[in-house]
Amino acid sequence: MHRAIALLLVLVAPLEAAAQQGVVRGTVRNPQGAPIRGAMVGIAGSTLYAQTDPAGRYRLAPVPAGEARVRAAAIGYRPVTTVVTLSPGDSVTADFTLDPSPLELTPLDVVSTKVPQFGDHPTTSVAQVSLEEIDRRAVNTIDEAVDKEAGVQFLNGQINIRGSTGYVQGLNSRVLMLVDGVPMNQGDRGGINWDLVPVDQIERVDILKGAGSSLYGSAALGGVVNVTTRDVPVGIHERLRLTGGVYADPPHAIWEFRNEPGFQGGGDGTLSYGTETAGASISGGARHSDGYREHDTQTHWQAAAKGRWQASTKTRVDVSGAWADDHYDVPLSWCKQGQCVDLGQAYQPFKTDTGGRTSWTDSRKGYLTAHVRTVVSDRLAWQARASWFRTDFFDQRRDTSEFGISNRVGAEFRVEVHPDSTRTVLVGTEATFSDVTSDVFGNHSQSEFSAYGEVEQPVSHTTGGARLNAGARIDFLAVDGGSLSAVVSPRLGASLPVGSHGGSVRASVGRGFRAPSMAERFVDLVASEFGLRVIPNPALRPETAWSFELGARSAPFLTFLRVDGALFWTEARDLIEPTLLVATGGPVIQLQNFAEARLTGVDATLLAAPVRRLSTSLSYTYLSTERRVPGSPNAPLAYRPAHQLKLSADYALGPADVGADFRFAGRPERIELEEFVDPHRVPMNVLDLRAQWTRGPVELRLIVANALNYVYNLVPQTLAPVRTTTLTAVWSH
Amino acid sequence: MLRTPVRPLLVLLVSTALIAACDKGLQPEPICASDLIGVCGTIRFRGTVPDSTDNVFVAAYAAFPQTCNELITNRQPFIPGSVSYTDSVSPYGVTLPPRTYAWVLAVWKKVGTLTLTPADTALLRVAGYYRNPADTTQPGSVIVPNGGAAANINFRVEFDSLRPATDFVSCTAQ
Repeated sequence: MHRAIALLLVLVAPLEAAAQQGVVRGTVRNPQGAPIRGAMVGIAGSTLYAQTDPAGRYRLAPVPAGEARVRAAAIGYRPVTTVVTLSPGDSVTADFTLDPSPLELTPLDVVSTKVPQFGDHPTTSVAQVSLEEIDRRAVNTIDEAVDKEAGVQFLNGQINIRGSTGYVQGLNSRVLMLVDGVPMNQGDRGGINWDLVPVDQIERVDILKGAGSSLYGSAALGGVVNVTTRDVPVGIHERLRLTGGVYADPPHAIWEFRNEPGFQGGGDGTLSYGTETAGASISGGARHSDGYREHDTQTHWQAAAKGRWQASTKTRVDVSGAWADDHYDVPLSWCKQGQCVDLGQAYQPFKTDTGGRTSWTDSRKGYLTAHVRTVVSDRLAWQARASWFRTDFFDQRRDTSEFGISNRVGAEFRVEVHPDSTRTVLVGTEATFSDVTSDVFGNHSQSEFSAYGEVEQPVSHTTGGARLNAGARIDFLAVDGGSLSAVVSPRLGASLPVGSHGGSVRASVGRGFRAPSMAERFVDLVASEFGLRVIPNPALRPETAWSFELGARSAPFLTFLRVDGALFWTEARDLIEPTLLVATGGPVIQLQNFAEARLTGVDATLLAAPVRRLSTSLSYTYLSTERRVPGSPNAPLAYRPAHQLKLSADYALGPADVGADFRFAGRPERIELEEFVDPHRVPMNVLDLRAQWTRGPVELRLIVANALNYVYNLVPQTLAPVRTTTLTAVWSH
Repeated sequence: MLRTPVRPLLVLLVSTALIAACDKGLQPEPICASDLIGVCGTIRFRGTVPDSTDNVFVAAYAAFPQTCNELITNRQPFIPGSVSYTDSVSPYGVTLPPRTYAWVLAVWKKVGTLTLTPADTALLRVAGYYRNPADTTQPGSVIVPNGGAAANINFRVEFDSLRPATDFVSCTAQ
């Protein structure tokens, strides 16, 4: 009781002390004086944090009078902390100069706890893709950037973090995607539209590897990908990007399928205007691709807008939205013998089944969000948000068509409390309503209501900085207005700094879950690739998993090396898999809670800067999986390669940079429904080369993706991209 | 001169690149592929292709089917592929488990959706089959060896004399 009263006094006291507050503002720059955009500046253990704009500027308010420890951190730079002294009603300038440090690993964490952490020591593995990396790789969609991270693999658009998802054509994800903290998995199918947010609008991508359901709820069973969009800077800013590229021909003449080269190209532009009080940006663009294989053209249109309003010193309102429209052919599977002019080949990976050449898909998706954050004091802040996400697809197949329209409406309210500078308490509630209208999924709705809380604090004052976080979330799910079922997702984590140079160990255990999507429950169609009917299963239960992790991060050693590694172990239950059943009318496929599984492994990242201007990284992931089904021998989970290796190197040459990425994934030992699909599959060996040149407001980027023109597939009968040479020009003002 | 700790790193990077260069990825694969386990050969086509043709596929039965149900459920592969029939001759290759097959045949399929039930016989016709070289009036048996393929399993399709399954199997015509 006394503790509750004390906490109330702590929260109320700052209100009385409003006049005893001031503002800290300043810039964050590199040693050459260039502004660093997207750097996070804040006062650790408080509600006060802000991100720098393109001019490197930031502003923190209301900062209590007295001494404040202000910390600035940015990906690729060594964090800096400074102490400022603030008088009541005063404004103090604190400028930061950050030294580049290719050995820095996740200097701040914004995804594992929903509150930015400057402590350098997350309790679960996190990774970040910076704006600089996104620019350097000149990607078109988010997945192309995230694919380069350790332990992450994309299978035909479906993300696997440490082997979480596997692959099911067109359905579901065991990873949750957030855009500025708002869940954006499809309301009907549960999958992710990686082209939802124009890449030009992305500031940073944060990846949580491990169960995140204790804060994020359904779908965060295998991890979370949070996309942070660019803030609206002060002043007028324009940005124009033009891209053009060409696809390589097949490496063997017998596979050739067209007489002219295939091209891709597009452009996008952004215009923004902002003051200290308010700002807005709009962007739009389009791109077209002839495709790298037969019947593979794609046309994409996009638009996005964002606005911010500093309603008062303490309250900020953000609104944002994006819309994308795609029309693409559907090369569902490559041509097997007899399905096209096969020239005596058992399969033609660049060609498609002659009968499928009339197939196409229209896909539209868009979202609107509004977000209010009020910093009541440096000890208390609250946030509220509302969102609407809509997807709409129409598939035309050879002799049939399918459509689906889905809405996902969500709202969240949360309160962030810092009883003192070492403790953080987060409590919140969230509600989501999804509906679908479709000729293959029917007309249905699903509701989710949840409440969550998390505490982070030192273990004690005598444990050398060890920190503990503990939290839990309860989700209530209802389908078509039926009875509620509850899922509880707890998490416990700890981190311990080792030495004074950034080394640490971490451990966490958490339970994640994924509610079956409405598509999985109610799908009713004939799968054209198998010729079998897929029947509904309204009785599907949520998948659940306990995830354990033990990790360590070294301080830099031998002056140029640093290592981060983790052992992980997931015990999954009620995994939903397509299952072949013999029904009275013949065999059918049904999604069932069929399997239990164990996923264990290790991932390790070695950062090295062996010579000046050269930064390299090497990541290795070993994954062992065991699928357990009563009455059947244990087997590996489908689509999980045991070994993944990623190498990256960048060399800076003044105004130019050159770099390379290499990705290897072993041949998956098992795929689902193997008896019905083409058995061809090989390991993945992909080398990407890049060069970048900057002069004033102009940047030129040359990318040769899959430079070895290595021909491979990750899922059955679906060719992965061949060598693609792309030149991108960017003008920013 | 590079610092000593740099060398292992460079060795690792170069080794990885070399490993990558050794693997050639997917390669062209003739129908009678070296790693095919099943049957392969050529089919010659005669006659006029019916307008209602959807496709032609090759199927095999370990034992000659006795009922319409066996005709559907004992078929290998269970989910049929297809063979190009637009030229006068077409190579084919079908993956099958190693064993002896009593009947290897080409099946003509009419436009329509298969249900994988005996009702499918309404859409299917026997278009031709591999014949016993010693007695060409009889089907020839084919042995798919362990780890290999039965090659040169060649036969003819007569589009002008497509025969219903009931000519071969005792069951109610659909």
